[in-house]
Amino acid sequence: MPRDEIPPGTLYMLILRVLSRNGELHGYEIAKAIETLSEDVLQVEEGSLYPALQRMLIKGWVKAVWGVTSGNRRARYYRLTAAGRKQLEQEISQFERVMGAVTRVIQTA
Amino acid sequence: MSSLQRVAELARKARMLFSRRERFDHDLEEEMRLHRDLRAEEIHDSGATEPDSHAAAQRRFGNTLQLQEEIRRAWGWAWLDHLSQDLRYAVRVLRKSPGFTSIAVVTLALGIGANTAMFSLINSVLLRPLPYSDPDQIVSVFERNLARGIPANGCSYVDLLEIRRSETFAAVAGVQNHQLTLTGAGDPTVVETVVVTPEIFSILNVRPLAGRYLYAEDNTPGAAPAVVLSEGLWRGRFGADNTLVGHSIHLDQQAYTVVGIMPAGFRTPEAGPKQEVWIAAAKDPLFSAWMPSPGGHWLRLVAKLKSAGPLGPTQSRLDALSTQLIKQSPAQRTGWSLRVAPLQEVMVGEIRTPLLVLLGAVGLVLLLACVNIANLLLARATSRSREVALRQACGAGRGRIIRQFLTESALLGLLGAVIGVALAYSSIHALGLLLPANIAAQRPVELDVWVLGFALLISMAASIGFGLAPAVLTSRTDVQSNLKHGSAQSGSDRGSLRLRGLLTRAEIALAMVIVVAAGLLVRSLLKMTSVDPGYIAEHVIRADVSLPRYQYKTPQQWAAFSDALMERIQAQRGLEDSAVAVPPPMYGQVNLAFVIAGAAPLPPGAVQSANYVSVTPKYFGVMGIPLLRGRVFNPEDSASSPRVAIISATLARRYFKDENPVGKEVVFGFPPDTNITREVVGVVGDVRDVALTQDPGPMLYVPFAQAPFWGDVLVIKSSLPTGTIVAGIRQAVDAIDKNLPITEVEKLPDALETSIAQPKFRTWLLAAFGAVALLLAAAGVYGVVSYSVASRTKEFGVRATLGASPASIRKMVLREGVGLAGIGLAVGLAAALAVTQLLKSQLFGVPAYDPITFLLSAAILVAVALLACYLPARRAMRVDPMVALRYE
Repeated sequence: MPRDEIPPGTLYMLILRVLSRNGELHGYEIAKAIETLSEDVLQVEEGSLYPALQRMLIKGWVKAVWGVTSGNRRARYYRLTAAGRKQLEQEISQFERVMGAVTRVIQTA
Repeated sequence: MSSLQRVAELARKARMLFSRRERFDHDLEEEMRLHRDLRAEEIHDSGATEPDSHAAAQRRFGNTLQLQEEIRRAWGWAWLDHLSQDLRYAVRVLRKSPGFTSIAVVTLALGIGANTAMFSLINSVLLRPLPYSDPDQIVSVFERNLARGIPANGCSYVDLLEIRRSETFAAVAGVQNHQLTLTGAGDPTVVETVVVTPEIFSILNVRPLAGRYLYAEDNTPGAAPAVVLSEGLWRGRFGADNTLVGHSIHLDQQAYTVVGIMPAGFRTPEAGPKQEVWIAAAKDPLFSAWMPSPGGHWLRLVAKLKSAGPLGPTQSRLDALSTQLIKQSPAQRTGWSLRVAPLQEVMVGEIRTPLLVLLGAVGLVLLLACVNIANLLLARATSRSREVALRQACGAGRGRIIRQFLTESALLGLLGAVIGVALAYSSIHALGLLLPANIAAQRPVELDVWVLGFALLISMAASIGFGLAPAVLTSRTDVQSNLKHGSAQSGSDRGSLRLRGLLTRAEIALAMVIVVAAGLLVRSLLKMTSVDPGYIAEHVIRADVSLPRYQYKTPQQWAAFSDALMERIQAQRGLEDSAVAVPPPMYGQVNLAFVIAGAAPLPPGAVQSANYVSVTPKYFGVMGIPLLRGRVFNPEDSASSPRVAIISATLARRYFKDENPVGKEVVFGFPPDTNITREVVGVVGDVRDVALTQDPGPMLYVPFAQAPFWGDVLVIKSSLPTGTIVAGIRQAVDAIDKNLPITEVEKLPDALETSIAQPKFRTWLLAAFGAVALLLAAAGVYGVVSYSVASRTKEFGVRATLGASPASIRKMVLREGVGLAGIGLAVGLAAALAVTQLLKSQLFGVPAYDPITFLLSAAILVAVALLACYLPARRAMRVDPMVALRYE
């Protein structure tokens, strides 16, 4: 089954969503979670996850702490902040607005 | 995004940058490695081989380096990385061409050093406030008399009281300085005494080192005499005795109680560079007697404004006061008006323009240095265009390339600044010579934060100045053609050569301005040194013998002392030609009003005045002042004989017109005997008594015996060595009174030399800047012409083949150089005409548009340009047609 690249601009929303569902995750877990949640339709361009995460750190949407994986390796775990939760709501409502508009355009065509 | 969030973001970035920067890259690496490993594991589990799964994981992950770069950019660190890259690269580039680098750095260091040094002078003299509290409220008050051509003179104590009563100022005080004899502390010695009204201390508000300063009560006739010592005198004469305050010292044999000690840096304004004791005017043996007189101009006034601000209203109040004072005592006051000016301005007035002129000149030199380096950089940029093309091909943006070039310039600028500041630091002491002694004593020249900031600022401005054009020009190159052809024929080449021609013309123009300015000053100086002072200074020595007034109280005593001294000195072999003159030329002037007996009364407000000198008979002979009419003084002109006077040629011409003044009578006299009728017995030649640069004014001479002073200034013409002469004077003085100091011994030619030492130093400094400017301009012309010759080798080859003679080729190249110079000269000429107007006040005997200076400067520049073209022209001449044609 061919997998689609995620639409541009939605990466933040996906990461925020995944983190809000699962609490603390490290980068690879976030990538996996996005794939799993989208039933393998959406595939994250894996490397780009990290610049995105760093930008979210800068914006204060997520916090990072170092922890240990089940395989006993050091990993950076990301967690939502209050600002991140608020951002998620905004992103979702904005996304729905845009999608609704696009859908209407397609249906009327 | 709210501004608060933005601040929080900045804070996070900054924290990360400063605290965890090294760990950051490592963490990122580890995080990404974990991701790839886990992905590889998963792929491996689904059946791939280990190497394959790692490669696949890497592929899915993307370009790790690029991602890291992106993250660094996100954190805002990219500029830092680029900067360190650029710096490293710049260091490498500059090290690779040590010749260019050292020329550029040395040029810049000289330019920046000269500017920094000049700025440090200006900073300490003109910019830094006076070392008193509320310096912007402290003003100088003086009297001027335009009718008599006196721009600034002191006031009387009565004036001071009137000004104080008018409540124009928050406080007003008077100062004057002279010498008193300190006895009882080692050998008798002359101390520099500042006579003050005590308010000066509260105006300046400088805390005493010990004890107190003088109070208003100390300035009443009945007060106990009090004295404040300088730290220098206290340490030097009294061994820093801590118990001195409260004890008395003896000045002119009168006891003064030491009430306080002022710190070493403290100076009362307008009271000379050396100040050792302060006493109240009412307690001064000389000036206390002058205090009640409404005339007289012996007190310099320092006042404090009620609040800082423009001086207009204060001046109006003083104008009103002046009118009122003239009504009160028209005889003494007519023609005099009170003026106010900021103290800072009064103190630095004379040095201001010369300093600004020199700063302007070094500014131009730096500009020239920048143009020169820009020229060098352009030449290099052309040869570096292939490198730039390569970097562009690899994806470097134009901005990035400009930044790289500017980093190199900035590095050059910084190196230049460091060496320049070191140069400035080592030259500061010498530059202090540019300042008059009274300013130098109080305003130490230092390299402070402002000066260092200035150096950094000009070095950065210079870096951008000389770096920008080459950077922009080079970054504009066409990648394709550059990679193909290399340097010589790149697209930017012609543009660059055109720009370099332009810069060289600008250099010639700048150099022209400096050379003309320097030329004008040099010609002024030559005029100054060749001016005829009206007397012959050779072999004349001047020495001061001052008489303590506590011992020599009456004019009869003064005259008797002088007679005895002259007799004893003239009796010695080799000292026959000696005389007394008070004051001799360039020793301060006494200006007195006079009237001609029997002449029509002067219109109201008009005053005739002349400089007054009291001399013994041999004076005119000793000084070589020619007698034009009548006779000189002789020993028969004594206190008991009829009063006589000798006038100068200018006075005779101006006030007696065509009449013979000999036999006529003039009325004048040194206070208090101001109305003495004297018969003119002779006319002598004019003397430049104020300064070499000032035209001689009218002068009046009287016999010392008829108008003695309380001290003798000796002038002795003798070919004996100075030491022998001084020993002779010493011996003569000792025979009369063993306790009299001989001071201020100076050879008259040295005194003349000293009087123009400052303009001389300034002139040679400017001339040195002019030479540097010429050198830089020559380097610029040489660079452009030799480059153009090199790029036209083929053309010259063709010309030679077609029969052009070497001479004609040389002429062609020289013509190019002269062409460069021509336009630059024209522009420079116009600029110089405008700029030299600012020099006017500094010139002597030379007009600001002096055609000779302008022509000579132009000729020098053309000669320098031709010289600079000579080498390239010779190279062009020797082009071998075969080699040239085969080339390329």
